[in-house]
Amino acid sequence: MPAGGPLTRQAPTSRAREVARAAARWLAMIESGEEGVDHAALQHWRDSHAEHEAAWQKAQQLRQRFVGVPPSLGMATLDRPTLARRAVLKRALGVAALVPTAWLLGRQLPLEVWRADLHTATGEQRRWTLPDGSTLQLNTDSAVDLDLKARRLALLRGEIFLRVAGTTPLAVQGPYGVITINRGEACIRLDEHTCRASVLSGSVQLQPLRGPSVTLETGQQIDLQATGAGPVSGFDVAQLGWRDGVLVAQNQPLADFLHELDRYRPGVLRWDSALEALRVTGSFRLENTDRILALLAASLPLEVHMRTRYWVTLTPRKNIA
Amino acid sequence: MLDAAKPAEHALHALYRDHGGWLEGWLRRRMGNAWDAADLRQDTFLRVLSSAQPLAELQEPRAYLLTVGKRLLSNFYTRRNLEQAYLDALANLPEACVPSPEQRWLLLETLHALDELLDGLPPRVRRAFLWSQLEGLGYREIAERLQVSERTVKRYMAEAYEHCLLVDL
Repeated sequence: MPAGGPLTRQAPTSRAREVARAAARWLAMIESGEEGVDHAALQHWRDSHAEHEAAWQKAQQLRQRFVGVPPSLGMATLDRPTLARRAVLKRALGVAALVPTAWLLGRQLPLEVWRADLHTATGEQRRWTLPDGSTLQLNTDSAVDLDLKARRLALLRGEIFLRVAGTTPLAVQGPYGVITINRGEACIRLDEHTCRASVLSGSVQLQPLRGPSVTLETGQQIDLQATGAGPVSGFDVAQLGWRDGVLVAQNQPLADFLHELDRYRPGVLRWDSALEALRVTGSFRLENTDRILALLAASLPLEVHMRTRYWVTLTPRKNIA
Repeated sequence: MLDAAKPAEHALHALYRDHGGWLEGWLRRRMGNAWDAADLRQDTFLRVLSSAQPLAELQEPRAYLLTVGKRLLSNFYTRRNLEQAYLDALANLPEACVPSPEQRWLLLETLHALDELLDGLPPRVRRAFLWSQLEGLGYREIAERLQVSERTVKRYMAEAYEHCLLVDL
C-alpha cells in the first residue's frame, strides 16, 4: 500500500478561508432555491478573481464526487451510527469492551512469487492476486501449497475461492481427487471426509479417486469422497458469502449455524442441546464473531456466557418474570 | 544509486532495524492481531520514507515513529469502521442491486475518500449535506427531517461547503 492515509489539513490562510466561505455562501444560497438570487452578482464575484473561480470549480468537482454513489449505500456508510451501535452491543454482550478480533477482509495482496505455501489462522481470511492475474482467497484456518509454474495447487486444509484468469487451467489437488478449473471461478471446501466443489462461473473438470471424471458448469456443486463422486446438485450462492466476509443463514437450524460459526472462532463454543431446534435467518458479518453471538442473544431466546473469549457457552434464556 | 541518497538510506535502515520490532510490538498490543500490526508497521515506515523529515537528525526516533504510527492507526480504525458499515449495507441490498466486485471496490474507495473529506463536520451538518448531495433533497425537506428552520439548513450547507473547499481534493 502506498503511503496514503489521512488527508493533510494544513491550517488554511485567512485569505483561503475567506474565499471558501464566500463560495460556500453562494452555493448554499443558490441551492436553497430562494427567490431573488442575484446571478449577475455571482458571475461578477467569479470573474473578479482567479481564486474565486477556482473555488467555484472546486465546488463543482466536489459535487461530482457524490454523483456515482448509490444513495442508500452512501447514507448507510457515511452516516453510520457507530457510537450507538457499540453501546447496544456492549449491553447485549455484558462485557466492558469488545475485544478487537482479526479483521477478516484483508486487503488484496499481490503475490510476487510463483511458488508459495499460504495459510490462514482461525478467524482470518486472506486474498491474493497471483502473478498470472488469478485471484486466490483463503477462508478461515486454511492452507494451500501453490505452484503456479506447474499450474497446480494442493489444498491441504480449509476452504478456498479461486478465480482463474488466464487460458491455462489450474489443477487443485485434494485428498479425494483433482479439480481442474478452466477460466472461471470456484469454491472448494475440505472437511473431514468430504471435498466439496462449487462452480460460480466457467467450467470445472473433476477426476475423483475412483470412478469416471465429471464436468461441472456454473451453479453446480459436487461432493468428492474417498468412495468417489456424489451426485451433481445446485447450490445457493449465499452459502459462499464468506468471500465477502458474511455468514448467511436462511431458516437454518441453530446447531448447523453454530457449527459454521465455530470454524471462525478460536477456542471453545458450546451450546445447550435444547437450543438446537431454534432457527436462524440473517446475514452476519464474520469480522467480529462476538458480535454475531450478541446478535443471536438479541434475537433468540438464549443467553451468551463468556467465561473468556475462548470459552463460550449458549444456554436457553431464563425468564425473569 | 546516487551517493547522496546513501546517508538517508542508512538512517532509514538503522531506524527500521533498531525500532521496527518495537513499533510492531506496540501496534500488536493495540490491535490484538499480528497481521494488521505488521501491515501498519510497513505503512508507518513508508510514510516516514516519504516525509521530509531528515532521519539522521531525529532526537527521539521512537516518539517520532509513534506519532506517525498513531495517526495511521486512527485512520485504520476509521476505515475499518467504514468498511463494516459498507459491508452491512451491501449485505442488506436485494440481490439484483448488489454491484459487481470491481464496482464494490471502487465504490468503497470513493466512500473512504468522501468520509475523510467530511471528517470533522458536526453530525447534523454532515447528515444534512449527505441528504442534499446523495438523495437530492431540497432544503425544505431537510429542514423538516431535522426539525429546524430552512435558514439553519442553509447555514449547515454553507458550513459543509466551506469545510470541503478547504481540503485538498
